[in-house]
Amino acid sequence: MGTPADRLAELLQFGPRKNKGSGSGGGGSAYPPRGGGAKLPGGLIGFVIAALVALWLVTSSYYTVQPEERAVVKRFGEVVKTADPGLHFKLPFGIDTVEFVATERVLKQEFGFRTLSTDGERSEYASEDFPDESLMLSGDLNIIDVEWVVQYRISDPMKYLYGMRDPDRTLRDISESVMRRVVGNRLGSDVLTTARVEIGELAEREIQEAMKQYDNGIHIVTVQLQDVVPPRAVQPAFNEVNEARQERERMINEATKRLNQEIPKASGEANRLIAEAEGYASERVNQALGETAAFRSILSEYRSAPAVTRARMYIETIRNVLPNIGTVMVVKDGKTAPLPYFDLRKPRAATQEQPQ
Amino acid sequence: MKSTFALIIGVLVALGVLQSTYVIDQAEQAILVQFGEPVGELVNTPGLHWKLPFIQDVRRFDKRILSWDGDVTQIPTLGREFVVVDTTARWRIVDPLKFLRSVRDEAGAKTRLDDLLDSVSRDIISGTTLEEIIRSKDWAVDAKALGEEGVAIEQVDLTKPKKGRATLEKEMMAAAAKLVPELGIELVDVRLKRINYIDSVSRQVETRMISERQSIAERFRSEGQGKSSEILGQMERELRQIRSEAERKAAEIRGKADAEATKIYGETYGADPEFFAFLRTLDSYKAMGENTTLVLDADSEFFRYLDSTRAR
Repeated sequence: MGTPADRLAELLQFGPRKNKGSGSGGGGSAYPPRGGGAKLPGGLIGFVIAALVALWLVTSSYYTVQPEERAVVKRFGEVVKTADPGLHFKLPFGIDTVEFVATERVLKQEFGFRTLSTDGERSEYASEDFPDESLMLSGDLNIIDVEWVVQYRISDPMKYLYGMRDPDRTLRDISESVMRRVVGNRLGSDVLTTARVEIGELAEREIQEAMKQYDNGIHIVTVQLQDVVPPRAVQPAFNEVNEARQERERMINEATKRLNQEIPKASGEANRLIAEAEGYASERVNQALGETAAFRSILSEYRSAPAVTRARMYIETIRNVLPNIGTVMVVKDGKTAPLPYFDLRKPRAATQEQPQ
Repeated sequence: MKSTFALIIGVLVALGVLQSTYVIDQAEQAILVQFGEPVGELVNTPGLHWKLPFIQDVRRFDKRILSWDGDVTQIPTLGREFVVVDTTARWRIVDPLKFLRSVRDEAGAKTRLDDLLDSVSRDIISGTTLEEIIRSKDWAVDAKALGEEGVAIEQVDLTKPKKGRATLEKEMMAAAAKLVPELGIELVDVRLKRINYIDSVSRQVETRMISERQSIAERFRSEGQGKSSEILGQMERELRQIRSEAERKAAEIRGKADAEATKIYGETYGADPEFFAFLRTLDSYKAMGENTTLVLDADSEFFRYLDSTRAR
């Protein structure tokens, strides 16, 4: 098939079907106008055909591989080489076809949710759920809603293209199967809380193992659990548990707070009580000491002249006391009524402003 | 006229070449069919191949691993719960000739696989309890180490499965693999993709989950009350302890001081009790004020000299 006609024929049959590369642009326009040459000048037709063929030749004999891609080049369907990024040449007219595989890019599959766009500062997510994907059973036979992502790379473009048809879909199926196995082997409460990372790691390992078994050139980068929640109808009950837990903490805290308030206060009061008692004690003792010291001094004086001192003290006391007393009555044995001796109240009432 | 003739010849030649060559892709294998009858060897090297024009036809088959996704079916388990089961499998065409004869193409194969895998999964699932299907062999949940969730989970049997999910998948695979070789097919694996409750069971399970949660919440609340009362009780105890201790100490101190004072007074006043009584009496007179009415005997010491002077 060395002649251009042969190549043309090949192309007519296979070119447009197989060629996914950048060089396929000229395919459609290069159809030779069949049997239309009778009326037109032969030279012109020939020129137009030649020009179209030339254009097609040029556009279908090179391809560009982007930095994140590798290209697989096939000649008549058979893989002849893989190409690295850059500009490359190939046989034209669809003899060589090129398939591009993004080997350097980390690809992502989402389960239970969909990212609509990652433009701008915040990613947008589809508002609807995908309960078929995300609802599963945990080991205690409860229902749990698990969302996760699988990030992967195509490590071998040959295996990716020719080991398996539609490896991405298989990756999806296997991811769902594996995630359900892993989650089914746990308690729902663990999945919701502590086991998230472990589940991700386990799933990653198992998915990778399956991909290895299929030999489809997919390398799993990571499996990460996103939202893991109980089913919607049960969520209020879960919240109630959280609230109850908070309430428990709150009650304990309040009690502890009261304890912390009352105990130091009581300790302080206790210390005050003791200090007061101690104060009373020293006061009492000092008073006793003082009074007795005074008594002792007086006593020693008294002993030197008891009768005089006694009389003096009595009279002095009465003299000091009497002016302050409201009513003084003097009685004599044998008299029935009290006999007023003198009444301080009357002269006092009269000369209240200037006593004495 | 000459050029028109040349063009016709060209087109005819092209048609001939087209009809006598075919391309096998890297992913394909092919069998040539002549008047409906397969002829020649299996073609499984990619590239350009020759055939007889017009009478031979190319049947292409994918060489790669293909996937099969079953319909979602409702199956009761051994425990009578209805579950929705979605299985998935991978297979490949290993004997294109047999494949061509028995199922013709992939659509035919899919129908056969549908029937086959559906019945296999029905058999296996309906003969197994749900726990066995959900859990795996390395199930290692210790019912005693459940902590705060423990109370609620007691209702569910937490025993280790005898077979577990992976084993069941292998059994399904083995059962199906026996039947597919006659189709020219090899099964790579069979997996349970999704297993969920049917809607009505889902609602029951959700109700159960809700009541589980509520009982946990209730326990938290009463725990809170209990702990709180405990702390307050402890506080009350400590308060009483502190106060009573302080009162005791204070009383002790006062008592000691009183005793000491008494001792001091006793020792001192004991020297002349009569004079002490006299002094004290005089002291108590000093406390008398305006509101007091003093009744004095006319014969008392105070008036004695008054009388005596009058008598003189």
